[in-house]
Amino acid sequence: MPPVVKENSKRAAQAQSKTVALPKRTHKTKFQADLAPAEDHMVRALKAELQMSSNSDFLSDALTLFRWAVSERKRGHRIVSESAAGERKVLLFPRLERVAPELTLPQVDIRWTERELGSLAELVSGQPAEPTEALIRAMRR
Amino acid sequence: MAVTIRRLEEFDEVAGFDCGDEPLNNYLKRHAWTNQEKVSIGVTYVAVDKSAPSAVLGYFTLATSSVPRERFPKKFVRGLPPYDLPLILLARLAVDSRFSGRGLGHALIAEALKITLRVADEVGCRCIVTDAYPDRAGWYARYGFVPIEGATASGPQKMFLDVRTIRSAWSLESSPAERE
Repeated sequence: MPPVVKENSKRAAQAQSKTVALPKRTHKTKFQADLAPAEDHMVRALKAELQMSSNSDFLSDALTLFRWAVSERKRGHRIVSESAAGERKVLLFPRLERVAPELTLPQVDIRWTERELGSLAELVSGQPAEPTEALIRAMRR
Repeated sequence: MAVTIRRLEEFDEVAGFDCGDEPLNNYLKRHAWTNQEKVSIGVTYVAVDKSAPSAVLGYFTLATSSVPRERFPKKFVRGLPPYDLPLILLARLAVDSRFSGRGLGHALIAEALKITLRVADEVGCRCIVTDAYPDRAGWYARYGFVPIEGATASGPQKMFLDVRTIRSAWSLESSPAERE
């Protein structure tokens, strides 16, 4: 859990930061987590598998891996596992998808004429067309 | 040629890019990076060859948009869902003339459509639209884009492709396990 900071001391720190640069934190932060029995079991099993004895090392490695995954997804890279036979699986992890660039495509306004909007409405409310050969090939790529 | 498609990066070599169309060249050279990173009005994806991974051979730019429901003419509203219409805009797509005829356009549009599908899966979008030069409309039609009527005689041709059609093409080519 993150350290608890009293609201008034937080404000005092903010006020101070306007005039004086805060000193770099040098002390270590305690991290405490409530784990369900199944998660606790999972942590113990993973530590054993990875031959780790300390929770700190475990958390540090997990953090490194998570940080890497976030940075890859932020760059638009997909995380894939590949079996020896070449079978691929794409990792879709909802929290990671929040940082994916696809979700940060910017929003723009398009100028539409009245007639274009009528045509668009007809297309949207109609049945979808069958995919063309070129589209199927594009998806295969 | 081993082509990779990725997001535009700050020091990509764009100065030599020439697709034969000055506005498209100019956009890549002067505006794409700023629009992507500083003002956030379009994300540009570039095709590069693995042997020269900074030299841009082709690109496309995507953005999202939506049409407020109340903007549709009243007689068409009945068939529409009771929400604003979310969509993706394929704002630009161009290939350096020196590399045309090597399937780069196909690779670029394939990636744009896959991104569209991922966005649709994650946050929802109903279609992808593009402003095609009239002489390029036939190329987009090969991928299933259909003209949106009402374009001005001299302007670009707006074209539409339903996300359900893209999804259908995708499902023909992949098993459910691949998308898990």
